[in-house]
Amino acid sequence: MPTMTFTIRRFVEAKSFSRDYSFEYMAGNTVLDGLIFIKEKLDPSLAFTASCRNGVCGACALRVNGQAVLACETAIESLAARYHSARLTIAPLGNFTVLRDLVVDWQPKLDRMKQVKPWLIPQDAFSADTGCRQSQTDFDKIRGYTDCILCGACVSECSKLAADSADFLEPFAFVKAQKYVADSRDDAPLKHLDPAIQAGLWRCMHCEECTAKCPKSLDPAEDIAKLRVMAFKKAMVNSAGAQHAQAFYEDINDIGRLNEAKLAIRTDGIMKSLTRVGLAYRLMKVDKLDPFHLPEPIKNISKVQKILKAAKEADKS
Amino acid sequence: MKKFAFFPGCVLEGSAKEALDATIKVAAALEIELVEIPGWTCCGASHVQDMDPMAALAINARNMALAEKMGLPILTVCNTCTLMLRQAKSALDGDDRLKEKVNRVIASGGYEYVGFSDITHLLWVLAEDTAFWQRRISRPLTGTKVAAYYGCHILRPQKIMNFEDSANPRSLETVIRAVGAEPVDFPDKLQCCGFHAFWTAEKDAVFLTGKHVDNAVKAGADMMATPCPLCQMQLDMYQPEGRQAVHSTAEIPVLHLAQLIGLGLGFSPAELGINRHVSAASKVMLNQ
Repeated sequence: MPTMTFTIRRFVEAKSFSRDYSFEYMAGNTVLDGLIFIKEKLDPSLAFTASCRNGVCGACALRVNGQAVLACETAIESLAARYHSARLTIAPLGNFTVLRDLVVDWQPKLDRMKQVKPWLIPQDAFSADTGCRQSQTDFDKIRGYTDCILCGACVSECSKLAADSADFLEPFAFVKAQKYVADSRDDAPLKHLDPAIQAGLWRCMHCEECTAKCPKSLDPAEDIAKLRVMAFKKAMVNSAGAQHAQAFYEDINDIGRLNEAKLAIRTDGIMKSLTRVGLAYRLMKVDKLDPFHLPEPIKNISKVQKILKAAKEADKS
Repeated sequence: MKKFAFFPGCVLEGSAKEALDATIKVAAALEIELVEIPGWTCCGASHVQDMDPMAALAINARNMALAEKMGLPILTVCNTCTLMLRQAKSALDGDDRLKEKVNRVIASGGYEYVGFSDITHLLWVLAEDTAFWQRRISRPLTGTKVAAYYGCHILRPQKIMNFEDSANPRSLETVIRAVGAEPVDFPDKLQCCGFHAFWTAEKDAVFLTGKHVDNAVKAGADMMATPCPLCQMQLDMYQPEGRQAVHSTAEIPVLHLAQLIGLGLGFSPAELGINRHVSAASKVMLNQ
């Protein structure tokens, strides 16, 4: 049988250290099997969380070589093949506070998620007698969201959270917000959308880490985009992020391509743009910015304009 | 001779003009024929779908329809353009009703999307077959240590990009080796540069720039290289702010992929537009 060595990032009573554990494994053994073997046979002091062993409870998410996975459904042999290595680094999820070893603190995350009111706000027409019925079509729009098992994999490599979590919610919280914004039974989509905007909706970096890591194939990055679309529909667009998106749309409509020279003013407004004079000078010095460059419209721009108009109409139908 | 419908993307016409110049020179030297797609539009730049997802799909269906008329696969040199085009292709090819709907939209401009044009990136073309170009490397970058910085949108989401394993890609290292240089592993190579959130999370984007640059220098790199002009801009233009954010003195040139290949082909840094970079451009000059 092949041998694998887990280098496990340990954290015990405020001390961080790494420890190697080597063991033999068979085809089909998972990372969780490895951890259980280590705990039972090599080092009972190792702490980790796991429950269902079946990809349902979400308790065993952790990082292998810096990438979040569910330990219970990730085969050791596939990782050995992926990294061409008989050694893997096992660490707790990123962007969480570590309690001990591979165990992270979920409570602050769940408290933060409550900001978007991740529950149904029922319409007045519903009652205990008649229930909260919706059509199959409307149910199909939201059914996938129940696949979220709150494992935290989408949080681990989130670029925005890694830089600063104070003004940005965890990706799964945006998924929950979109779930209820999209639910035809909900009476107050703005009660989910507005806090999502306040909690950083436009600060997502588009890095796609959340979508890449979700073991249930949910798409938090897409849900963030959907919430932004709803923000436009509700005219909640008084933000640099919304102005930025609008600038790209308008440039495509006007000339087909981006007009870089005007982007800063349209995104930030004149006053804030003035604070960037130093940067502008730096870029002009090396010919990276030409404030007088006015790109010509592409040939056939009228056809593009017709398409954008038709897209708007199609969206209504 | 390889031949592609070339989708330059907006920044190559503006602040990353040097990437366009380098791409054209390198492609000609490697006998890759690039025929610019006539009348291409902005891909939406990962922003337009936030305002009007149907518009984002339609403009890229039109871009792909234009390439289909040329009978050529599309080649881009920008990660985000690649993702936007491939995302649209994946959505349209995977849903006949949506494809019909979008085709009705672009029919208003006289276009039809069929779905036979593939979308690739210069990095992928170079990495999947080094034999056809490596022999043309006349001035190998022997001894130069290059930190491979992939950028997000050439890797993620895996199901859309799918050229290689997004958790352990090798393409950029393969190309760096083929040009005679030595790839340097560093912890940030798969991480985000923050470019797309610069306007809404400036402090964070600048922090990421500082961190990536600092870690690349700490890993012993002489330069960074990236297949994405947006990452290049972020990592090059904002190094002064980045240094301040992470209290570092690290300064390093950040090269567009085509510039890296161009150096190996014997072009001078000036011919590749490296003098248009903000950070440490002179270090590339000195090494050559």
